[in-house]
This record gives sequence, structure tokens and C-alpha cells, in this order.
Amino acid sequence: MKNILKITFALAFLFTMSSCWGDKTKPNYQYMPDMYKPVGYETYSQNPNFANGMTSQLPVKGTIARGQVPYEYENTPEGYELAKAELKNPLEINEKNLASGKKLYDINCAVCHGKKGQGDGVLVQREKFLGVPNYKDRQITEGSIYHVIMYGRNMMGSHASQLKAKERWQITMYVQKLRSDLLK
Amino acid sequence: MKILYQSRKKIFFLSMKSVKQHSPLSRLVINSLVFLLFFSFNLTAQEGDAANGEKLFKSTCAACHRLDKKLVGPALKGITEKREQDWLIAWIKDNQGLINSGDKLAKEVSESTPAAMTANPQLSDQDIIDILAYTKGEKAAPKAAAAQEVDPGVGRGKKVFKANCAACHKLKGKLIGPELFKIGDKRDPDWLKLWIKDNNALVASGDKLAKEVSESTPAAMTPFPQLSDQDVEDLLKYFAVGDVAKATTPVATSDNKEMFNKPGLGVWTTLGYTILAFILLSLIVAATTNKRDSEDTGDSMLKTLFFNPFLRFLLLIFVLLGGAWLTFGWLMQIDVNVGYQPIQPIKFSHAVHAGDNKIDCQYCHSSAKNSKTSGVPSANVCMNCHKTISEYNGPLFGGNTKEDLDKEIQKIYDAVGWDKENLKYIEGYKQKPVKWIRIHNLADFVNYNHSQHVTVAGVACQKCHGPVETMHDMKQFSPLTMGWCIDCHRNTKVDLTANGYYKNIHDQLAKKYGVKEVTEAQMGGLECGKCHY
Repeated sequence: MKNILKITFALAFLFTMSSCWGDKTKPNYQYMPDMYKPVGYETYSQNPNFANGMTSQLPVKGTIARGQVPYEYENTPEGYELAKAELKNPLEINEKNLASGKKLYDINCAVCHGKKGQGDGVLVQREKFLGVPNYKDRQITEGSIYHVIMYGRNMMGSHASQLKAKERWQITMYVQKLRSDLLK
Repeated sequence: MKILYQSRKKIFFLSMKSVKQHSPLSRLVINSLVFLLFFSFNLTAQEGDAANGEKLFKSTCAACHRLDKKLVGPALKGITEKREQDWLIAWIKDNQGLINSGDKLAKEVSESTPAAMTANPQLSDQDIIDILAYTKGEKAAPKAAAAQEVDPGVGRGKKVFKANCAACHKLKGKLIGPELFKIGDKRDPDWLKLWIKDNNALVASGDKLAKEVSESTPAAMTPFPQLSDQDVEDLLKYFAVGDVAKATTPVATSDNKEMFNKPGLGVWTTLGYTILAFILLSLIVAATTNKRDSEDTGDSMLKTLFFNPFLRFLLLIFVLLGGAWLTFGWLMQIDVNVGYQPIQPIKFSHAVHAGDNKIDCQYCHSSAKNSKTSGVPSANVCMNCHKTISEYNGPLFGGNTKEDLDKEIQKIYDAVGWDKENLKYIEGYKQKPVKWIRIHNLADFVNYNHSQHVTVAGVACQKCHGPVETMHDMKQFSPLTMGWCIDCHRNTKVDLTANGYYKNIHDQLAKKYGVKEVTEAQMGGLECGKCHY
């Protein structure tokens, strides 16, 4: 009889062990996590070494991070006009650039501006945003398109943090193509 | 308006005639009628069509203006009381031109705000009058109540579907061809039209998607050049809506194999079977031994079962094996966090953003395409949309009220210091980071690179993260164990068409393994040093 009691205890113990992780809002158990956990600071971890306590920092003022391209036009109506008049796309117009432009456009722009640039993206259809213009109704140049991606315009926000300079130019190229298709 | 104008002309013409033919009385009547008509024409022109104005306002002005609230531009309700109509028309059409012409008021207005207004030369005078009518706050034509009226095209589309497609396609479920329900969500409608009419021509034209689709299945689809554009459009409508009358029954097919792969669930079922087998066995033993024993000693059946040495031995083996199995199962789930669902500082719903509003994953997680880390979007990305959207108006979820969810949006504003009344950032505000809790966390001895999977391999986010677009509260979907990684590497065929640079090596590898397409594992995706270094 004692034997059976012991066995039941052992089984019950095992059951409780196997169903230990009950609270799914906390992470599961780790066993000797020394090699699981990073020695250095992870990308978004807190960091006591900086005044604002974050590991991700903005570039120091006056420096340019590797791979970044400085942009010298100001975020003012004058800057816009200047960029519109003189800024030119450094990339060659080819299939490859247009293809990645399309891919990036569909991710970053189409949700408001529509797949074809008619200002009829999902968010406009669902009336979250209204009055997104059709590209064909606007006098835009490659310079002004790039400028607007960089700084945003009116209620459109800046998309500079989401896209690299090259990607911005590829999108610019694709927007111009959409516009010329619409004007046909 | 055109018709009215014409009829006016006609009646005027008529009245000219009547001057010659009719008595003074009828002349008076007709003349006054003409006058009335003319007047009413003028009247309508002055008032404008508020319904049309509303439409135009939403498509043209609403980006910067609201009726009752300041956005980029001023609130426009009652603007006609403040400014002359002619001035407004000139201003809306070309405000820059008006300023340059030396108009004093225009200059004043433009100087009062840093943002320059976009000129709208595409609007006609009548359009602007309509818009102004709308800004007076006049009631627009009552909107049709959101009655779920079914487009007659759907019915026609169903007919076309039954006549032409149903041989190889079902609306729901795969037949020879793929399932067509909501196909419009997956493919561009224009592409579908071309594909349905003549898929061979589309493949021949070098369309990449068409080629891919045609290669994915051995059966070639019949072209349907006989279908008119209208037919195809009706078809697409039918695909989008489906059978309306038929209630959809959710099909719950549980895959047994998957059940056993999931830690937790598998343990219980297997244990149940084991206990059942044990009881059965002991019954058999009891049935065979009981007769003889009970004749000898007269003990109860239960007692003989307890003290049966064979059964005791059997029980011991079962307990030992079962214990080992359970221990092993428990050890294997250490640090496997499937279902981990922490409470985040903001009730951000992926189902609302990526599901309902169809914002691409990579819009917010923009660094996934270029970097090891798929970044948590910084608050300025939230603000790209939430500058405009300061309250939640969608369907409620998770027991939240609208006020609860509005407060969640307010949390972003508190983090970045946004003044939602005046629509600008508060100067000198000390910004606070939002402390998101990381869910997917690989051990530090594993190297995982997002860009390698997202950009190079073209793996969809959902493959590892699960149906995120349906989750209000984000949780971990995949175990992120090494076995799980390797399974995928073994089964994933590498797409060699996109990059010709390594074609030579790939061909040699394919030859070496005697296969048509190389899998990730055959390319070295199982080598230890690829992920552990």
C-alpha cells in the first residue's frame, strides 16, 4: 500500500513539473542561462552608460554614420522649391532599380497613395486618411518627391528613418513612372 | 446643369415664338416662367451641390483641412462668412498666383502660417462652389444606410463561374486549380483579368508572377478569350464576396501529427493512452489469474490484483518508463517560449494595424530588410499616421472601450510630446521611451539575421511569426528551437532565378546531390558554424 502512495506522489510531482510554466505573460524557465544571455548590450536593451538610458542612440551631431548620405535642403517651403528645381536622381533608370522601387513603394507608400498612385490606398478607402492626391494632379519632380519622402509634407510624415538614400531614390524613380503612366 | 441650361434655351426660344403668336396674358405667364427658371438656375449655381462638395472636399482638401478643427490648414466651417466667394475661388485655384498679383488679403493669409497651400487648378468654378456649399455645414444628401446590398454583378459572376471555372476550381478548397475565394486579396485584379483571358500569352509575355504560377502546378489552365471584360469583372466580384446565402461553416481539421509535435498537448494524450493500456492489461491478467487464486484463498479480486507479482513488476516498468518520458519532455521544453504573451506597455494590436488596415509588416519593421534586427519602430513611425489619427474608430476588441483605446494612442503622444489640440510637438518636452517587452529572443550563442531571411531568401514574416495580422496581443508562435530551424532548412528549396551569380555552384551542387533544386541544407544550411560562432 505504501508503495502505491509513493508512486502517486512521484507521478504528481512529475505532472506539476511538466506543467510548471503556467503564466504565459512571463518567459519560461531557463537552465544555466549563462550562455543564453548576452554579455554586451542588445540592440534595444536599457543601457546605464548613456544619459537617456538607451542602447540605441542617434548619431552624434555633426557626424555622418557609415552608409548615410547627408541631405542639405532645408525643411521649409523654400527648401522644397529649391529641391524641386535642382535636385536630380543619381541612379540610372533601369529595370532593377524600378523593380526594387516598386517593392519598396508597395510596402511604404501604397497603403495611402494606392498601388497605382491614384491616392486610393487601403487607408484612404477605409477613411483613415482623406484627400491623398492623385500623382497626376500634382506638379512634382524627382527633386520634390525625394524631398517629401525625406521630410514629409503637410500631414504626411517623414520616411527618412525607414528608408536609405538609395531606396528613397528608387522609390522616387518608381513614383515618376507611376505618374507618367497616369498622365498617359 | 448642362441639361438645365439647354432646356432654358429651348424655353426661351419658345417664348420668343410665343411673343408673336400669343396673347399678352400668356406672354406674361411664359415670360415669368422663363424668369423663374432663369432665377432658379442662378440660385442653384450660387448654392452649389453640397453632396458633390463633400466628395470633392474629402478627395482634395481633407489632407490638410477639416470642417470643425484645425489641421495643417484652418478649420473651414463657415469660411464663406469670413471671405468673399470670388476671392475664395481665386485663392483655392491658385493661391500663389493671387499672392503674386498683389492681393493684400492673400499675402496676409499666406504669412499667417508657415505651410504653403497647394494650388488646385484642376477644380472648376462649379466644383469650388460645391465645396463652399459643403463648408457651410449644409446637410449633404443623406448617405445610403449601410445596407448590405449585394451587387448584381455577384450573381452574374456566379453564373459565369459555374459555366466556365467550376470544372477545375472550387470557391473554397483546392480542386485541380487553386481555391478562388478572395483571390483578389492575393493578386492584382488587372493581372487576374489578363490571366483569366489568356494565361499562356501572359506567361509568354515574360510576366514573372504568371510564370511562377504556371510552374507551381502541372495542369495548365485553359484560356478564356470568350469572356468579356464585364464577365471577368463580375467573376472577380463573386470571388470577393462568395456565396452570400450559404453560411460558412468553420472547418476544424486537427492534424494528428501536429498534435504530437506540440509540447504539452502530446504529453497528455500519450499518457492517457498509456494508462488505458495498463488498465486493459491488468484486467486481462486479472481475468486469467483471478479464477484460480480466488478459488484457493477467497480474497477479493482487487487484493489479488495488488499482490500479483507480475502486475507489480509491470507497474514498475511503466512508472519508470513514463517517468523518464515525462522528465525528458519537461527538460525539452525548458526555455521554449511558444505562446509567450507578455503584457505590453501599449495595447498595440497587430490585428488592427496589419490585419484590418493592411499596413505592410516592413512599413514599421523597416530594418528587417537591411539588418540583423527587425527593428521595433521608433515613435516617429507611429506618428506618421497618428499625427492625423488621434482616436480609435474601428471595431472594439478585447473588452476595451473606445476611451480605453484612445488612451492607448495618447500614450504615444505622452512619449514623444505631441500636442494633439494644436497639432505640433511640444517644445522642450523630455521624451520618454516606450518600454516594449521583447518576445522573440534567441539565445545569444545563435546568430540569426533577418535580412538574410527576409531579403535574400524572401521568407514571409508569417512563416516564423505566425498569423500576426490576426493577433490583438502579440505572442510567440514558433518554438525557435534548433530542430525547428533545421526542419525548415531541410525543406526549403532555394530560389536560384533571382540571382545568377552563384548559378555555377548551384548547378554543381544539384549534380552532386542528384536533385533538380538544391535545398538550403544542401547549400550548407546545416553547418554548425553558420549559426554558432
